[in-house]
Amino acid sequence: MTARLTVNGRPCDLPEQGTATLLDLLRDQLMLTGAKRGCNYGVCGTCSVLIDGMLGRACLTLAADCAGRSVTTVEALDADGSPDPIQRCLVEAGAVQCGFCTPAMVLAARALLDANPRPSRAEIVAAISGNICRCSGYGAIVEAIAAAAHG
Amino acid sequence: MTAVAYHRPACLDDALALLAADEDARPLAGGQTLVPMLNLDLLAPTAIVSLADLADLRGIAALADGSIRIGAMETHARIAASRIFAAGQALVPRAAGHIASPAIRNFGTIGGACAHGDPVSDWPVALVAADARIEIAGPAGRRGVAAADFFLGFLTTALEPGEIVTAIVVPPVPGRAIHLRYSRIDSDYATVIVAGAADIRDGICRSVRLAVGACGPVPVRLAAVEDLLTGRPLEPALVAAAGRMLAEAIDPLDDVRGSAAYRRRILPGLVARALAGVA
Repeated sequence: MTARLTVNGRPCDLPEQGTATLLDLLRDQLMLTGAKRGCNYGVCGTCSVLIDGMLGRACLTLAADCAGRSVTTVEALDADGSPDPIQRCLVEAGAVQCGFCTPAMVLAARALLDANPRPSRAEIVAAISGNICRCSGYGAIVEAIAAAAHG
Repeated sequence: MTAVAYHRPACLDDALALLAADEDARPLAGGQTLVPMLNLDLLAPTAIVSLADLADLRGIAALADGSIRIGAMETHARIAASRIFAAGQALVPRAAGHIASPAIRNFGTIGGACAHGDPVSDWPVALVAADARIEIAGPAGRRGVAAADFFLGFLTTALEPGEIVTAIVVPPVPGRAIHLRYSRIDSDYATVIVAGAADIRDGICRSVRLAVGACGPVPVRLAAVEDLLTGRPLEPALVAAAGRMLAEAIDPLDDVRGSAAYRRRILPGLVARALAGVA
């Protein structure tokens, strides 16, 4: 049996190249471009996805190491046609500027709220500490996540 | 591009055999350092040997003597969340909880970080402070190395070719945990780390251990400093003297996180703050 992983609920074959990253698979094979290739070495956070529900860096994860695991990208969050509450709150708070960090920011917030539905402001800040917003719009992003949690 | 093989052995012996058969194969733990090195073309292995399925390298468990064995494939996040560490051993989960950011902590492993041996990272100083032992397996069998003898310099450890870290064993540590990490922002490497533990009662220091990290090629821990502080009231002048001794012993670089002079300047204040926090 060929080893497979699941992406947004669909089974998916692993790439042959052993050093292919999960980000290579998502963007270049599956055309799921919500995960961004920013720095490609783990600093910027824009490639973050959920791996078995845990926030992880797609650029720091070999696709082959995801065999048997379940990956969720931002594309899955509005698959039913309506945006996730976090996405709606980001828009309402004016927290999407250039938008490059937004998909990963949404998933960082989703991972936080799944584990901790009523986070403090400090917990929100800690949860997105690995996600850089080059527009430096953190105030509105934190406000939006708080609104999604408490609103 | 040459195809790089990916192996996922089911047991430790198979992993060691794969690594012994090909000196250009690389073991893969959490990948949070190996994979960016691949992405940046800093490494060109012939094969990747994933350690993901090795049950021997998992688990955080107490041993009969009160030591805690941490499997090499345990993640920083799982170590940070563990309640098994007692008294001064708590410096270990505290160190884990400050590494990088949540996504890195979810997948990065203690064994991978030790094998990489980056002196600005969080584990070397914490494990030297805790008197931890690094358990190793390789083609010549198994051995254990004290953390102080394992971290030998910049990206240099006591690991021989074909060897991997299998576990970290943290002995009982008396007193209260010290872990003071000074960094510019969350998720960055530290400028200075002070790790250790102290048993301070009625103002008298019964026992203390202090190690300084991110300030040179290896963590710095001085018996003279611990002897100076032990058995005495922790008067400000004594604490300042200890801080100065450590500041003279470190060998920091000038980098974006602070100049060598800056690190030497702030270290005594951090030592005083660390000790005051557990007094």
